[in-house]
Amino acid sequence: MPEVPGLQSAPSCWTTMCQDRVAHILLAVGPDLYLLDHAACSAVTPPGLAAGVSSFLQMAVSFTYRHLALFTDTGYIWMGTASLKEKLCEFNCNIRAPPKQMVWCSRPRSKERAVVVAWERRLMVVGDAPEGIQFVLDEDSYLVPELDGVRIFSRSTHEFLHEVPVASEEIFKIASMAPGALLLEAQKEYEKESQKADEYLREIQELGQLPQAVQQCIEAAGHEHWPDMQKSLLRAASFGKCFLDRFPPDSFVRMCQDLRVLNAIRDYHIGIPLTYSQYKQLTIQVLLDRLVLRRLYPLAIQICEYLRLPEVQGVSRILAHWACYKVQQKDVSDEDVARAINQKLGDTPGVSYSDIAARAYGCGRTELAIKLLEYEPRSGEQVPLLLKMKRSKLALSKAIESGDTDLVFTVLLHLKNELNRGDFFMTLRNQPMALSLYRQFCKHQELETLKDLYNQDDNHQELGSFHVRASYAAEERIEGRVAALQAAADAFYKAKNEFAAKATEDQMRLLRLQRRLEDELGGRFLDLSVHDTVTTLILSGQNKRAEQLARDFRIPDKRLWWLKLTALADLEDWEELEKFSKSKKSPIGYLPFVEICMKQHNKYEAKKYASRVGPEQKVKALLLVGDVAQAADVAIEHRNEAEMSLVLSHCTGATDGATADKIQRARAQAQKK
Amino acid sequence: MAAHLSYGRVNLNVLREAVRRELREFLDKCAGSKAIVWDEYLTGPFGLIAQYSLLKEHEVEKMFTLKGSRLPAADVKNIIFVVRPRLELMDIIAENVLSEDRRGPARDFHILFVPRRSLLCEQRLKDLGVLGSFIHREEYSLDLIPFDGDLLSMESEGAFKECYLESDQTSLYHAAKGLMTLQALYGTIPQIFGKGECARVRNGRRVPPDPMFCFQQVANMMIRMKREFTGSQNSIFPVFDNLLLLDRNVDLLTPLATQLTYEGLIDEIYGIQNSYVKLPPEKFAPKKQGDGGKDLPTEAKKLQLNSAEELYAEIRDKNFNAVGSVLSKKAKVISAAFEERHNAKTVGEIKQFVSQLPHMQAARGSLANHTSIAELIKDVTTSEDFFDKLTVEQEFMSGIDTDKVNSYIEDCIAQKHPLIKVLRLVCLQSVCNSGLKQKVLDYYKREILQTYGYEHILTLYNLEKAGLLKPQTGGRNTYPTVRKTLRLWMDDVNEQAFFPLII
Repeated sequence: MPEVPGLQSAPSCWTTMCQDRVAHILLAVGPDLYLLDHAACSAVTPPGLAAGVSSFLQMAVSFTYRHLALFTDTGYIWMGTASLKEKLCEFNCNIRAPPKQMVWCSRPRSKERAVVVAWERRLMVVGDAPEGIQFVLDEDSYLVPELDGVRIFSRSTHEFLHEVPVASEEIFKIASMAPGALLLEAQKEYEKESQKADEYLREIQELGQLPQAVQQCIEAAGHEHWPDMQKSLLRAASFGKCFLDRFPPDSFVRMCQDLRVLNAIRDYHIGIPLTYSQYKQLTIQVLLDRLVLRRLYPLAIQICEYLRLPEVQGVSRILAHWACYKVQQKDVSDEDVARAINQKLGDTPGVSYSDIAARAYGCGRTELAIKLLEYEPRSGEQVPLLLKMKRSKLALSKAIESGDTDLVFTVLLHLKNELNRGDFFMTLRNQPMALSLYRQFCKHQELETLKDLYNQDDNHQELGSFHVRASYAAEERIEGRVAALQAAADAFYKAKNEFAAKATEDQMRLLRLQRRLEDELGGRFLDLSVHDTVTTLILSGQNKRAEQLARDFRIPDKRLWWLKLTALADLEDWEELEKFSKSKKSPIGYLPFVEICMKQHNKYEAKKYASRVGPEQKVKALLLVGDVAQAADVAIEHRNEAEMSLVLSHCTGATDGATADKIQRARAQAQKK
Repeated sequence: MAAHLSYGRVNLNVLREAVRRELREFLDKCAGSKAIVWDEYLTGPFGLIAQYSLLKEHEVEKMFTLKGSRLPAADVKNIIFVVRPRLELMDIIAENVLSEDRRGPARDFHILFVPRRSLLCEQRLKDLGVLGSFIHREEYSLDLIPFDGDLLSMESEGAFKECYLESDQTSLYHAAKGLMTLQALYGTIPQIFGKGECARVRNGRRVPPDPMFCFQQVANMMIRMKREFTGSQNSIFPVFDNLLLLDRNVDLLTPLATQLTYEGLIDEIYGIQNSYVKLPPEKFAPKKQGDGGKDLPTEAKKLQLNSAEELYAEIRDKNFNAVGSVLSKKAKVISAAFEERHNAKTVGEIKQFVSQLPHMQAARGSLANHTSIAELIKDVTTSEDFFDKLTVEQEFMSGIDTDKVNSYIEDCIAQKHPLIKVLRLVCLQSVCNSGLKQKVLDYYKREILQTYGYEHILTLYNLEKAGLLKPQTGGRNTYPTVRKTLRLWMDDVNEQAFFPLII
């Protein structure tokens, strides 16, 4: 704060002000006023200040921070805007004694200002009017400026000084003829069973003011503090309503509800004497918060239930607060607290057991927190808290129960860092679902760990597969690959998977052989299958080696024939193919020969084999080489209906006309028989 | 609105709109121009929910595919990563973000996890030091995607593999979540039935099958989740009466056999991805006089297949044999309709004709497309090999010679037919024989390893682990009994045999 010129002792008075969201301090030193902010100090003079002021005794800022009042040693009061740019009015009370307190009294209804000044036993309300209103104070009192008036406390009393609201004024003004006043009168007469009731009512109705009358009574009821008066005003409103068509009932209903709530909290046991306007300004939510802070849980819940607030905003929230308070009661055992909380809360929607548990944990009651978390249905909330409390194993089983794999993963990684490897693996062992998830994780992130996992479980089959994969992915050198395969084979033997072990050994043999072939012949052999290795050998003219390989790896005869046939046709080595076809009787028949020649568009060669095709496939073969006529002959000879129609479907146009006729005749003959 | 979604008994547009709204809300959270970096896998499923136009309306100006190193340059304020929660993707994102930080103006990064936000992934981002760079980290629960008027799909290709091979039940969790979303929109389904069993693998050994395991898993999760959401009571009158949960494992046979409906064959031959199929373009060249055949399109023709197309809705589930006659009938109707114009005499009649024109033209276009597709399929189905394969499949399914080595399979291996075809047949034989005799199984395995390469020892092991391929144990083949009692096989179905297609 900057220096204030001439400030020797405490200032005679000072106050904080707020302008444009910046806090200032207004400070009086003798006859001078200074405005301070965090950097500067400037002298200010209120406009229109009367002369002869030698010091300021009191200053007051209004509830809204818009207005300022200054009390000087001459008994003069200056009232103006807080910006000190404008004077609103002034008042001279001729009392030079320094007041005990000076506050603004907000007057929401009229724009006129009023300041309340208090001395030891005297209270004065001053404003624009030439005269103030004086009251006598019986005791030492204290003033509190509020939204809509000034609260006056003393040792034994509590009073509220405020401007009379319009509705109340209209109704209760002496000899008032306002519709509300008449309605109240009418109702009273009605209760007395007097015909005047009708007169009053007619009077209002003739002016068409019944709706206003009802509205006035409702409003005035709101500003009354005495339940009896509230009741009679509401009764009047209700009475008036009967004579109105379609008067919307909500304002009446809402007022009844609000008053009930207000009366409840104004009760001296509770002691929150809010006015209606304050209550409306505050909102029910804030009121509930205050009740909760005062631990008035039952009343808060009753209010929620009475006002039918949605559970999530109302009852559940309060219960949750209650539970949070409950867990802080250290003298009650964990068991009892948990049970009490669950009994009250049950499955109340919107209650977060994990919040309560977090609170319990915050108070150092871990066991209680865990017990409470048992009731939490949302695993997404439950599990992280368990982790925080270092109950990872419990967290794991909860995560697994939920089926949410992401949660399981989270716990797993947590566990992995927390436990030593051995313990971690043991934990996994008892949780198959977690184990398989962790395996998946390792497969992508930590291959070595995967191996350890399989080792630990003696899962030789998977271990074998692991090594097989390694022989492709991890190892580049042939020796390394063979070694990986050897490890795989060993594992497969241990897993009693003879087949896989043998196949792996074959693969090792093949790899070595392929390596040798590459060295001797050049070209690419590595990673070809046995089948393709043999094919490649034939394609590069290494028939002997091909034969040898096929024998070594015991390629079945049928497949070998297919293989050779395909390879030789690819080479278009027709001579060798023919030799091969005659080497012995084909185990796959001769139709494949025909097909493959036709595929290479060699009809000439195809025809050679067509004649050797067995009777069952002869027709097909002949059709393939385009010999429809002969196909027809064979089909007819076979007396096979299906074959005949097949040939027939191949007969095209004029060229095969004769053949087609022939088949038709044969068919007809067959049918005759 | 996607019209085809509202045809069914349940208006699935409600669901579609709900997920679209969620997407829009997220996009609007990131104020200003945006670029989306896609996990490539998600583009297909997203295409069914929101076209580019929707994204554009919300200021999405650029779209990239997620890949390593730095992001392509884009003059946008926000960069949104739309990804599955996978660790390897997090590494790429971190790389992107870190290289981005070093140059140019500051951008806002956001991340949208589909379908679920993951603590694991966020931890990884944190470890990589980029978690703080993301302003919005949210999840987009796209579990069930409306596919057609009566079909929702999770578009999760790997689900079976994850569940049965890797014992990773993430997809079941997502299924349960998806069903919860569905219930939130269409009311709580009062009854849940289910069937399925899943042999759990514990410590590498098979434990006896736990009946209805997967189904129960999903149902249990749904019950749990319901408890979690008790705050928001669901007062919607239930649209669905029953929920039937079926485990794929109940019937492994069906997916192994060749599909024979029109749609099935399109999928068998060309593969339908997220309701789109890519076809060879030659058949679809615009037939115009003059420049015919000059410039054939080289890019594959991409078609969306769903019931929005009237003709397709009619023929998709028909046996392929029946498709030809429908198409020719349709052709006649359409050309007759076009002929009508000669009868239109009065102005009113002409006007009416013209008003129908767009619909007719659409119908004609649709007919032309499907005629071309049918021709493409016919080329395959009339081939001898297709016929042979079908014969073998049908023999297996009727229980003929399932316990011997099949010579057609042998020949396929010897001729190196695509491995997937061979494996499907072998597995089919295994299923139809309650497992293969050890000798037969070993023979097939050996043949496959020798022909297609030793690396497939892993493939075969995986098939065995998933139960698709197995040795016969207990020496009894239960399939024939099952086939008879459940009447799985209909002998006298008209369209069973393949007749040549006539158009």
